[in-house]
Amino acid sequence: MNIRFPKSFRIVALSLVAIGILALALSGVFTSLSRLVVSPLTSLQTWVSQQYQGVEIFVSASQDIREIRQQYTELEAENARMQAQIVELQQQLVEYEILSALLEFARANPEHKYIGASVIGRDPSPFLNYIIINRGSDDGLKRGMPVVTQNGLAGRVVQVTAAGARVSLITDPVTRINVRIEPSRSAAVLAGSITGDITLEQIPQEADVNPGNLILTSGLGGNYPANIIIGQVTSVKSRENDLFQSASVQSVTDFDDLNIVLVIINFNPIDISPLLPNAETP
Amino acid sequence: MSVILSIPVLSFITVLQSAVVSRLPLNRGTADLMLVVIVAITLQKSVKTAWQWSIVGGLLTDFFSGLPFGLFTTSYLITTGIAFLLRERIWRFSFLMQLLVVLSGTIIIHGLSMLVLILQVGSLQLITVLQAVTLPSIILNFMLSLPVFIIIQDIIQQLNPPE
Repeated sequence: MNIRFPKSFRIVALSLVAIGILALALSGVFTSLSRLVVSPLTSLQTWVSQQYQGVEIFVSASQDIREIRQQYTELEAENARMQAQIVELQQQLVEYEILSALLEFARANPEHKYIGASVIGRDPSPFLNYIIINRGSDDGLKRGMPVVTQNGLAGRVVQVTAAGARVSLITDPVTRINVRIEPSRSAAVLAGSITGDITLEQIPQEADVNPGNLILTSGLGGNYPANIIIGQVTSVKSRENDLFQSASVQSVTDFDDLNIVLVIINFNPIDISPLLPNAETP
Repeated sequence: MSVILSIPVLSFITVLQSAVVSRLPLNRGTADLMLVVIVAITLQKSVKTAWQWSIVGGLLTDFFSGLPFGLFTTSYLITTGIAFLLRERIWRFSFLMQLLVVLSGTIIIHGLSMLVLILQVGSLQLITVLQAVTLPSIILNFMLSLPVFIIIQDIIQQLNPPE
C-alpha cells in the first residue's frame, strides 16, 4: 500500500529537517564531521592555488624581467652617454685652462700680437723635433714667426701652407738661438739635440753662470724677439783649458705635452745676411 | 691592388703617423707606420703594384716631414727592393721576412737621417742616438709588424682570393 503525503506536508517536513540540521551545526555537533570533509578539500584547494600562483608569478615575472632588462639597457645607454659627456667636458676644461694661461701670457706681454693654434701632429721622423699646427698663411702666418706657450719660447715657424704650418721646436738638433743669461747678462747660444736636451754653448769663460740662472732670448741675429723666457740653467761645465763654458738647460715648456701654442704674428725676422761679410769683400 | 687606392689609404696612414704614432715615443724613438704598411703590402705575392705604393707612401711622408724631400721616398724604394728580393728567394716564413725587411728599412731610414743631420749640425753622438732613437724605433716597428701584417694579408686575400 503506497502512502502518499500531501505536498504541503513534504515542504514542512523538509523545512523542519533543515532547521534541525542547522541547529545541530550551530551547536557544534557536526564540527568533527565537517573537519573530515573540508580538510582534504582545503588541502586540494591550497595545492591548486599554489600551482596557479606559481604560474602567475612565472608569467608576470617574465614580463617584469623583460621590463627590468629594458630599463637596464636604457639606463646603461644613458650612463654611457653621460660618461662621454663627462670626458668631453673634462677635455674642454683642460683646453679652457690652457687658453686662460695663454691669455694671461698675452696680457702680460702686450707688445706682441698673438694667434692661437692647436698642435695637430708631430714630425714622422724621430730625429726632428717639429710640430704641425692648424694655422697657416690663410691666418696670416709667415715663415720665421716665433711660437710661444704660456710659459715661454717653444720654437719658430719654418714652413707654411694655406691651412697649416710646421714649427721647429727649440729642442730640435738644428736649432741655434742667441740668448742672454740673467742676472749676469752673459751672451750664449742655445742648442737643441736629438735626445731633446737643450744646452748652452759658447758661454765666455769669464761669465758668472750658476744653476738656477734664467735664460732669455737676447734678440741678437733678429730671429726672435728679445726677453722671451726659455728656461733655467741646471748645471754648468767649465774647464780652464776650454775656450767656452757650457751648461745644461731645463726648458720652462713641457714639449711632451704641447697642445695649444701662440704664434707671434707682429714679429718679422730680420734678414742680416746682406750685412755679413763674404769672401769677396776685402 | 689598384694604385688609385694607395692615395686615400696611405694619406690616412700618414695622418695617423703624424697625429698619433709620432706622439707615442719609446725613449726618443717612434714607430714608422708607413714603413711597416709598405713592407707588409710588398711581401704579399698577389700585389703587383708595390713599387707604386712605395712611391706614394714616400712622397706623402716627405711632404709631412722636415727632413730633405726625397729621403723617405728613397728609403722606402730601397726597402721595397729588399722585400722583393727576399720575396722571390724565401717564400715561406712571411712574418719573419716582415721583421727582417722592417729592420733593414729602419736602419736605412735612420742611417740616411743621421747622415743629413751630420751634414747640417756637425758631429753626432752615435752611441747615444742608437740607444735613444734607433733601437726603440726598431722595437716599436717590430711590435706594429704583426698586427699590420695580419690585417694587410687578410685584406689582400679578400680583394684577391687565391684561385
